[in-house]
Amino acid sequence: MFEASLNMDLFLFAILPYLSMSIFFLMTIHRYRAQSFTYSSLSSQFLENKAHFWGTVPFHYGILVILAGHVLGFLIPRHLLAWNSRPLRLYVLEVSALIFGLLSLIGLVNIIIRRVTRSKVRINTTPSDWILYGMLVIQLASGVYIAVFYGWGSSWFAASASPYIWSLIKFSPDIGYVVAMPAAVKLHIVSAYMIIAFFPFTRLVHILVTPNPYLWRKPQVVRWNSNRAPRRIR
Amino acid sequence: MIAVSRRSFLAILPIWILLIGGQEIRGDERALQAEQAKSFFRQNCMSCHTIGGGRLTGPDLKGALERKDRSWLKRFLLDPVAMLESGDAYAAKLKKESRGAVMPRAAGITPQVADLLIDLIEAESELEKSEFAGLQISERPLTAIDVERGREIFLGLHSLERQGASCISCHSINGIGGLGGGLLGPDLTKVYDRLQGRKGLATWLAAPATPTMQSIFKPHPLESGEILALVAYFKEAAETGSEAPPSGPLHFILLGLVGAVGVLVIFDVLWRTRFRSVRARLVADQGERALHR
Repeated sequence: MFEASLNMDLFLFAILPYLSMSIFFLMTIHRYRAQSFTYSSLSSQFLENKAHFWGTVPFHYGILVILAGHVLGFLIPRHLLAWNSRPLRLYVLEVSALIFGLLSLIGLVNIIIRRVTRSKVRINTTPSDWILYGMLVIQLASGVYIAVFYGWGSSWFAASASPYIWSLIKFSPDIGYVVAMPAAVKLHIVSAYMIIAFFPFTRLVHILVTPNPYLWRKPQVVRWNSNRAPRRIR
Repeated sequence: MIAVSRRSFLAILPIWILLIGGQEIRGDERALQAEQAKSFFRQNCMSCHTIGGGRLTGPDLKGALERKDRSWLKRFLLDPVAMLESGDAYAAKLKKESRGAVMPRAAGITPQVADLLIDLIEAESELEKSEFAGLQISERPLTAIDVERGREIFLGLHSLERQGASCISCHSINGIGGLGGGLLGPDLTKVYDRLQGRKGLATWLAAPATPTMQSIFKPHPLESGEILALVAYFKEAAETGSEAPPSGPLHFILLGLVGAVGVLVIFDVLWRTRFRSVRARLVADQGERALHR
C-alpha cells in the first residue's frame, strides 16, 4: 500500500511533468508547422457579446495576474519571502491574489454558462473546448480552495514549490517537497501538468502567437463586413 | 623453478586483484550503508529519539538491544502499529511511557533498512557520546527577550540566519492578530506540550520529521539561538493561549469576495462605452435564416 502510493507520487511528480512538457513542445511545434492557421482562440464575440464581457474580461485579467504571481514566486522566491516578512504586506499580497483568483474563477464560470445557454455559441464549441473548461475549473477551483484553506501559499510556494520546480529543471526531481502536501495541492499540481500536456490540442495555443498583441491591444471586435449570409452555422 | 613461480604468480594475479578489489567494494558498500542508515535515522527517528541523550517523545535508544532482542526490534520497526494492535505487552508499555503517542511506520522502511538501523543503534550505543545524543541547547532560564525574539522569528520580522522561511508561512498561533498565520501546517499554540517540552521541541526544530519541513529546512537549518528563542515563544503561547479559532479563512474569503466585486465594478466603469448587443438582433436573424435554409 505504502510502496504503491510512493510509486504513484513518483509518477505524478517526477515523471508526469517531463511527459507533459514533451507533449507540449512536440505537439505545439507540430501543430504550428502543420496547421498554422489554427493558432487562434477562435473568437465567438460576434455571436454574443453581453455575457462574453463578464466572462472573458475577469477571466483573462484574473488568470494573467495569478500566472504572473506563480512565475515570480518560482523565479524570485527569496524576494517574495522578504516581501512577506511583514505580516501586513503578506496579507495585502494574499488578499490581492485571492481577488484575482476569484475573478478568474468567476470569469470562467460565466464563460461556461454562456457556452451552455447560448445555442449559437454552444454549437461553435468543440469537444476540446469542453474538456479544457473542465480542466480549468479543476485548476482554478483547487487554486482558490488552497488559497483559502491552506494559506499562506505565496510564502510556502516560494519555500517549497519553487525549489521543487527547480529540481525538475535540473533533471534531479526532489519530490520530498510535495509528497506530504494536502490532496488539494497535489490535485492543483497534477492538474497543471495535465493542462500543459493538453495545451497543444486546445484554443490555449493563442497564448503562444508572437508577436503577442493580446496583452496590450484593445479588445478586438469581430464584425461581418458583408450582407451575405453565412452558408451554415457550425 | 623461479620461472614457474613467476608464471603461477601472473596466473593468479587477476584473481588477487578481483579478491582485493571485491573486498574493497564490500568495504565501500558497508560504509555507504552505514551512511545511509545515519541519514535515515536523522530524517525519520531523530525528532523523537536520541541515542544516549535521554528520552524525547520516544525512549532513548542507547542499549535498546539489551532491553529487547534484534528480531523484536526489527518487527517493531517494520510496523509499530501492527505490533501494538497484536497486543504485544512491551509495545503497550512504550505507548504508555510516550503518553499515548504511537510511533508511525517510517517512510521507506524495509527489512534491510531495519537491520541497518539496528546495527547503527548497536554501534552508537557503544560510543561514549553518539552524534545522535540530541541537540544540546542552553539550559539557561528563558527570558521575555527570548519570547519576543521568538515572536519576531515566527512572524518573519527577524530573518532566519540561514534564510529559512518564517513559521507564519505555514503555521498559525494564538495571539498574532490580523488574518492569522498560514494553514498548511498545524496550529502551533500547543506545540510545546505536544512535543513534550523544551528538549523535544528543540530537537524537532533542529531536525523536523515531516517530509515537507524536512525538505524546506534541510538546506536552511535553524541556528541553536533561533531554536531557543522559538522554544521560549512556543512555551509562552502554550501557557497563555488556546488554539486560534478558525475565523481567519472566513475573514479572508470575505475580503476576497468584496475585492472581486469591486474590481468587476471597475471593469464595468472602464468599459462603459463598450458595444452592448448592437448586433444581437442581426446575429439572431442570420442564424435563424441559415438554420432554416
